[in-house]
Amino acid sequence: MSDCQGLGDCDDTRMQRIYEYLDGALTREDLTEIKQHLDTCGECAEQYDLECLIRTMVKRSCTESAPENLKNSILDRIHAIKPVDA
Amino acid sequence: MTLVKDRLVLPEPGYGMQPESRQLTVDLATMSTTEPAAAAMYQTAGADDDATAVNDVDPASETPEQRRARFERDAMQYVDQLYSAAMRMARNPSDAEDLVQEAYTKAFSAFHQYKPGTNLKAWLYRILTNTYINLYRKRQREPLQSNSDTIEDWQLAKAESHTSAGLRSAETEALDHLPDSDVKNALQSIPEEFRLAVYFADVEGYAYKQISEIMNTPIGTVMSRLHRGRKMLRDMLADYAAERGFRAQTEDQAAAGSNNQEKEK
Repeated sequence: MSDCQGLGDCDDTRMQRIYEYLDGALTREDLTEIKQHLDTCGECAEQYDLECLIRTMVKRSCTESAPENLKNSILDRIHAIKPVDA
Repeated sequence: MTLVKDRLVLPEPGYGMQPESRQLTVDLATMSTTEPAAAAMYQTAGADDDATAVNDVDPASETPEQRRARFERDAMQYVDQLYSAAMRMARNPSDAEDLVQEAYTKAFSAFHQYKPGTNLKAWLYRILTNTYINLYRKRQREPLQSNSDTIEDWQLAKAESHTSAGLRSAETEALDHLPDSDVKNALQSIPEEFRLAVYFADVEGYAYKQISEIMNTPIGTVMSRLHRGRKMLRDMLADYAAERGFRAQTEDQAAAGSNNQEKEK
């Protein structure tokens, strides 16, 4: 387990805090607190950096272009549908 | 696991699908230390770049032709994104195409129910997810997904051992060399409900609340899935890096007597 307890007393808690920070799901106070911690704690900052990298890798790998014909196929299908009135 | 729901910044009740917040996604190339997450939080409040084009529409007085034109103008721009998400759901490009077609057809038929000004892409994602669950998952006979509750535990335990071994910056360096195909395979190998949560959070930068609406699950469940999914993903990527010979520092550091207490047993 990690030596640092600045973000929580177990790895699970620490990672949860890092995820929330990464996801922008914190209050301003907590955000400031975690940012200050990451600025001073190399151990937690490395965890954060790794999660940032994985996030970037996922985004890069999963950004795909649909096949050329897909858009036209969809348009063909919806043109064959009689629109429903609200 | 203790969830910290009380720390979430939640939108007002009745707000509907939240505005999109794609700024939330961290780009290492432009990242300076820890600023993006902080910036993202302040930007989630009001910006809704998806809604601007449709704010002035009154669906009730619209003719069918106008509605079709509005659908083509506003919804068709997300085909690539929906296809990317469908690729995380279906097992191959052909099924992913079918899924996207089916979802768009349903979305068009239900477009009079879409509330202009709310997040159209998230609305489409929700239809896509529902379509997948109702249509495609039933076809897949693999027991893998329904067993996720039992396989999580050993995968988590494995992830823990990696964490305790200390994933340091050298590990980050090693992962950085992995090809996209490894990342896709790693994602594909984690249970689908975790995979989709990770996809919506990391690729689209959606807030927990939005993901919970798209996946029709409580926010606490979304957070739990993200937590577990990310751990599994990280573990899997570390394995790929090791297989490819991108050695992280773990052995060397252990030999050098750094803070590694115990590694794999």
